[in-house]
Amino acid sequence: MRKYIDYMKIGIKEHMVYSSSIWATFLSKIVYLYMQFALWNALFASNAEKNLALNHEETIRYIIVATVLSTIMECNVIGWINSEIQTGNIANQLIRPMDFRTMIFSKHFGTTLIKTVLYCIPLCVVTGVAFHKPIVCDGQLGFGFVSIILAFIIQFLYSLIIGLMAFWLIVTWPLNMLLAAIYKLLSGSWIPVAMFPDLLGKINAFLPFRAIYSIPVTIITTPMSQENILRNLIVQIVWIVILYIVMTVTWRIGKKKLIVQGG
Amino acid sequence: MSIEVEKLSKVYKLKKSQKKVAVDDISFTIPSGEIIGFIGPNGAGKSTTIKMLTGILVPDGGTISIDGMNFKKNRKQIMYKIGVVFGQKSVLCWDIPVLDTLKLFKDMYKVSDSVYEENMRLFRDVLGIDEFINQPPRLLSLGQRMKADLAASLIYNPDILFLDEPTIGIDVLSKERIRDFIQKINRERHTTIILTTHDVSDIETLCEKMIIIDKGSLIYDGTLGDLKDKYKTTDLEEIIKNIYRNGEMKYA
Repeated sequence: MRKYIDYMKIGIKEHMVYSSSIWATFLSKIVYLYMQFALWNALFASNAEKNLALNHEETIRYIIVATVLSTIMECNVIGWINSEIQTGNIANQLIRPMDFRTMIFSKHFGTTLIKTVLYCIPLCVVTGVAFHKPIVCDGQLGFGFVSIILAFIIQFLYSLIIGLMAFWLIVTWPLNMLLAAIYKLLSGSWIPVAMFPDLLGKINAFLPFRAIYSIPVTIITTPMSQENILRNLIVQIVWIVILYIVMTVTWRIGKKKLIVQGG
Repeated sequence: MSIEVEKLSKVYKLKKSQKKVAVDDISFTIPSGEIIGFIGPNGAGKSTTIKMLTGILVPDGGTISIDGMNFKKNRKQIMYKIGVVFGQKSVLCWDIPVLDTLKLFKDMYKVSDSVYEENMRLFRDVLGIDEFINQPPRLLSLGQRMKADLAASLIYNPDILFLDEPTIGIDVLSKERIRDFIQKINRERHTTIILTTHDVSDIETLCEKMIIIDKGSLIYDGTLGDLKDKYKTTDLEEIIKNIYRNGEMKYA
């Protein structure tokens, strides 16, 4: 167990190494948030709010919370695994008395903790000061946190599966680019999922992406019945089970497939 | 710990129906506490063999037995006992101080405080790791990085140590220190050491025995002395060149 705590600390330390990148990340989030804010305000100003699933205020609340959440949900897991496999460094990990996946998780968990402190909480403060109207539904905040934790697990499992694809493909960044675009759209980190056209909404119901952003953000920002909240949480749990099974199979087959690169 | 390898083979599948035999039916025994030079020309199957001996690759045929244990049944036990140092790849965490990696390995291999202290003293005295222990590997010179890598792989007293080109690109003085250190470890802890290298002077100073492979097959397995008698010269480099040349002609 102690070795995984060490890896968690390593995750934290590695993130803290380059202080200029910390500032750049934080500022880029503020700029992005302002851009989203301006964009949606302009869209609503030019449209008389016809046939939209969310009204102006709900949308603004949604994009604020989604952007804050993105500071901790974005992760490097795919990149880490890819470079380990591509450079052959994974051999160094596989000869250690530890579980590779638990190691990656510990490191990712450490990084997420430090991101929460460095970006997520300050951004909450900034938006709290800048935006005077209430953003969250206080009564649902507890469920919101549970949902964020579930989303964090889903996001990790998804990244792990894609990262492990490098066992077959060796180079996965073109796949990553494609999936990243789909992910950004369908997860609801850019646009509230509720605004999607019918067909896209239906397709999305069968994909795990919306469980990462759309579900937790909606629980936090939109008043809904408790029954409805629980249904959403169950959807997330089901996705965790499915992705866990897929990940285990990918790992078992992938490990056999392994050809360590170079020398 | 001793290593017994019997009829080991590995075939890589290339594109459709094409195959490359990387290791072809080789057998050898490495007794406990010896330093073995494991050599062969580039592409001979050395790395593949080492990867199978460390449990990274699964062999297509044959068996590997490490003190009677095998990777299928006793994987975890074996992992606690083996150390690996690659000259061209670092095991250290790139961006954080060397000391943190050493502490990580201490926890990972469940090293007691007293053993850890004792080893750190040795690394300080013989390798001089104090100079750079608080720096991350990305700021180290190649020689320093190599010493740090050796320290990381020996902090948990492995019984078997795989050294893959440990002196590549390293200046003569550091080379000598590293060799002295390897000998010291072998003498005092009876660590079995498998050394792969293209540097003939490494082999002459460190090894009593050597194993030579080429095109995936075993060419020689015996002492350095016997090899020199057989070729009637003491120039090891010349002997090795001869063996490699014969290999090229045979398959040309």
